[in-house]
Amino acid sequence: MNLFQRNVAILRRCDPELASQVSKVSGGILSVHTAKSGVPTATVKNRAIHSAYDPIREAEQWADHQVKDCQPGEIFVVLGMGLLYHVEALRAKLPQGAVILVVVPEVSELVDGLTVRSLDGWSERVSWLWGEPEQMALQVAQQPQRIRLLTYEPALIIHQGKYDAFRSQLREHLAKSLNGRLHIMVVGPIYGGSLPIAGYVVRALESLGHRVSWVDHSLHDPGFQNLETIRDDRLRLTVQQRFSETLGVISLAHVAEDPPDFVLAMSQAPLSMAVLEQMRRKKVVTAMWFVENFRHLTYWQQMIEGYDFWFVMQQAGCVEAFKNAGASHVSYLPLAADPTIHQSIELTEQERVELEADVSFLGAGYRNRREILPALLEKEWSFKLWGNEWNNAGILTKVLQRNGARIDTPTSVKIFNGTRVNVNLHSYAGEGFDPAGDSVNPRAFELASCGAFQVIDHRTLLPDLFDDAMMGVVKTPEELVRAVRKYLHEPEQRQTMAEESKKRVMMSHTYAHRMQTLLSTMGLACPDRIGGILQGERQAESLLARSQDCQELVPLLRTFPTTDRVELEDMAKIIRQKGPEAQLKREELLLLMMDEYRQEKRDFL
Amino acid sequence: MSRSLLLQLARLGDLIQSLPAISSLHSSLPDQPLDLLCAAPLTSIGKLFSGIQGVYPWEGERWHTFTTQDRVEKQDLIKMAEQYLQDCALPSYALAYNLNNHPRSIVASHLLSDRVVGAGDQGPLNSNIPPWVAYLRQVARERGPNRIHLADAFCGVCGITPPSVTPTIQATHVDLPTDFVQMVNDESVERIGIVLGAGDGDRRVPLTAWRRLIESCIDHLPNSLCLLIGGAGEREAALALEDQLSSQYLSRLLNCVGRTTLPELAHVLNRCEWVVGSDTGPLHLGVACGARAIGWYFSRARVHETGPYGEGYYVWQYQGNSHLEPTGSSDMKRQPQLPSSWPVLETLQLMQDQYSGESPAEWELWNSHRDEWGVFYTNGENSESLFAKRETIWKELSAMTLNQQVFSNSNVIIAG
Repeated sequence: MNLFQRNVAILRRCDPELASQVSKVSGGILSVHTAKSGVPTATVKNRAIHSAYDPIREAEQWADHQVKDCQPGEIFVVLGMGLLYHVEALRAKLPQGAVILVVVPEVSELVDGLTVRSLDGWSERVSWLWGEPEQMALQVAQQPQRIRLLTYEPALIIHQGKYDAFRSQLREHLAKSLNGRLHIMVVGPIYGGSLPIAGYVVRALESLGHRVSWVDHSLHDPGFQNLETIRDDRLRLTVQQRFSETLGVISLAHVAEDPPDFVLAMSQAPLSMAVLEQMRRKKVVTAMWFVENFRHLTYWQQMIEGYDFWFVMQQAGCVEAFKNAGASHVSYLPLAADPTIHQSIELTEQERVELEADVSFLGAGYRNRREILPALLEKEWSFKLWGNEWNNAGILTKVLQRNGARIDTPTSVKIFNGTRVNVNLHSYAGEGFDPAGDSVNPRAFELASCGAFQVIDHRTLLPDLFDDAMMGVVKTPEELVRAVRKYLHEPEQRQTMAEESKKRVMMSHTYAHRMQTLLSTMGLACPDRIGGILQGERQAESLLARSQDCQELVPLLRTFPTTDRVELEDMAKIIRQKGPEAQLKREELLLLMMDEYRQEKRDFL
Repeated sequence: MSRSLLLQLARLGDLIQSLPAISSLHSSLPDQPLDLLCAAPLTSIGKLFSGIQGVYPWEGERWHTFTTQDRVEKQDLIKMAEQYLQDCALPSYALAYNLNNHPRSIVASHLLSDRVVGAGDQGPLNSNIPPWVAYLRQVARERGPNRIHLADAFCGVCGITPPSVTPTIQATHVDLPTDFVQMVNDESVERIGIVLGAGDGDRRVPLTAWRRLIESCIDHLPNSLCLLIGGAGEREAALALEDQLSSQYLSRLLNCVGRTTLPELAHVLNRCEWVVGSDTGPLHLGVACGARAIGWYFSRARVHETGPYGEGYYVWQYQGNSHLEPTGSSDMKRQPQLPSSWPVLETLQLMQDQYSGESPAEWELWNSHRDEWGVFYTNGENSESLFAKRETIWKELSAMTLNQQVFSNSNVIIAG
């Protein structure tokens, strides 16, 4: 019996089906060589999967690094397989009872490993996940324990797509099943496009049952705008910067007073690096949802190391740029709609007179829009132009509504509902459509959520979000008039497409969906600080189950509803409610004492 | 006899002000072993108190760390706290005297003792406070015409009367830095401690005032040596002060700021004839170590509550903040004003025993006395009428204390 056969026999004892598959498949994914230390090592397309010198030592170092963060009671999911040196090393360093699941993206890769390395003595305490990514993800998501993903990066490249799919599916499954309640502090901007999104995010997180503290800096907008009266540019900029820094310190004070599980900042939130560094010193996890075009607004480069998590609305190039700049976690998170705001509504007669049109465009007066939209004038349809920053609009002036005033959200919803064909052109400072245009603007989701029909310019990320059957997509400015004319004459098709787009929003593109994805992403990356809470481990019933060796806590924990999240302050509150005559148990006094010190904030600012 | 514990978790000044209560407790119950629980950095001073058997440190930082650690289960938090208390090896106590009306101190006293005297005596969750603690709180809020010294009120909190003799601290032998030894031990000089330090910024005397005092002392007291006293936080200020002085003064100045441990500081203060400063811990330590005190009291400091404890001391009380005096809590939030002038020459005159009796503008001089009810300050008033007022308060509060119910933590378990 050769090594491979002995390994298959070992595998059969714990996973007969996988053993059977392994016997049927040939390897050849990995090129196996002999390392300087004399043991097998592997490459794929000349890229090293293990050390060419000493793969065992390398694996031990990897395992040492990983186990530093591992906590008892967690389930460990290993991504990246190769010749399994790192799995063996991890097994040796974790306690006997620790559960290790190894994701097998392709059985043929496992075959390569089993041909040259023995499973004897360690693999009996490892479980294998194999099959389609969705099945594997489901299996992991169904585990009751806290999940910790351990990534062996060199081997990920072999089946990168499958691992990405696995992670994405796992996030989705977890997002649906997470029932723990977080305390999230949302820090918004003083003004600007991300301000309404901050509001949608707050509502979405609350709708998911989380406690949200919104640090709404728009309250300070009048004061900030008033600084424009300072005529000297340098003085004004200095004062504006100081103003912004003060708002950052105010945010910090809110964090000190009521510490959240994490801070979610929206683009343009006035959090300086100094404030973010202080938050990190105080172990506050921070995330930024950067809802800007990263090529146009580049301040993220200065802030990149300040946030623990970045969420961006653009994909590959953006994610890569952020990672190259030093971001530790970057994830794609497209924009969305809030169906409680962006919804189908009936306009009053008076509103119809003002807001209804065959064709409308709502947005700011960027250069490309100024050049493209005149083509919609002098046609057989009525055309209304809404929005601000349309100074010197030329021939568009005659269709500009409300004299170019800023349109608030409720009015924009009415305009969307009252327009037969909504034109949605992404902003671009150049001519025509942005050739590098990837992200999809919020208006696309909002129009769809309203059940309003739209003609939109092509974006590379659009097909992942909406089908062609949901909106009219034009690839060049020249196609715009033809598309508008076509759909104006096909009301039934318009309605069908708009309804489909609305269904898609409801199914996948609300801010609640986005927040679920954001939370599960952070939960997977921070299993002990975010993931565990999301999985409900701070809830009374979970705490009770883990308090068996501290029976004195049990009666106290039983006073809480089973699904309530219970923290030190909650327990202290219950103890304090016992009344003035109460004799307290020793554990209760200790909890009170610790709660007193928990409230100490003297060195936060 | 069962042991008892006195808890004083506040700062140096309060710990020193607790000395009369400790002394009086020891006199009235000489056979009852009394231990002290104080802030960890102050245990070395607590060990100098006579009447105290064991001194135990309270490490607030440790408690704070417990609650800010990630990944700690609730039951593990309790185990960590228990472990900490066991490490402290505190014995079991039948009685705790708690001097601070602060939740931490109240909870600590109930954690460590079956019965509590002082703040929290009605139970850890009972908001009723004992008469003497209520009196102190009222004085802190409203000021008013109080003439009971804080240190004596602490005696009242413990259910005893003030000691008949002012207690002092005798420092144990310490090896001082070599450049200190000669100047500190030289019998031919008159040492004047200048306390630069103040925990709160609004109690700091400007360096220019100190410079003038040092120059005046050295100019007019031929055998004088000025010692700058303070902690590490005042190092910069002390260096800046040295910069302002010419070399003729520097030769008769010893900068001890930030260079001594607390026992070393006590040793130095034991050898001072005078100590001058605002209402700070080192000023009170100097007094307890036997130096005669001249306090410069301004900001929220008031001679009647926290004047140097003992007889024959002086306090210059700044009058410019009289608007803060009687009108209740909202006014207390107003920022006190810093004096525009300082009683430099008058302080020198007091040391020379040549004070003419003419107070500088905005300042009023108070002298300390003691009687059966403790220490009090006068500025020429009739002591007898003051005695009657103070006696009435003592008797009323003591009677109220006697009528109180007794709360007991019958199920208390003491670690260690």
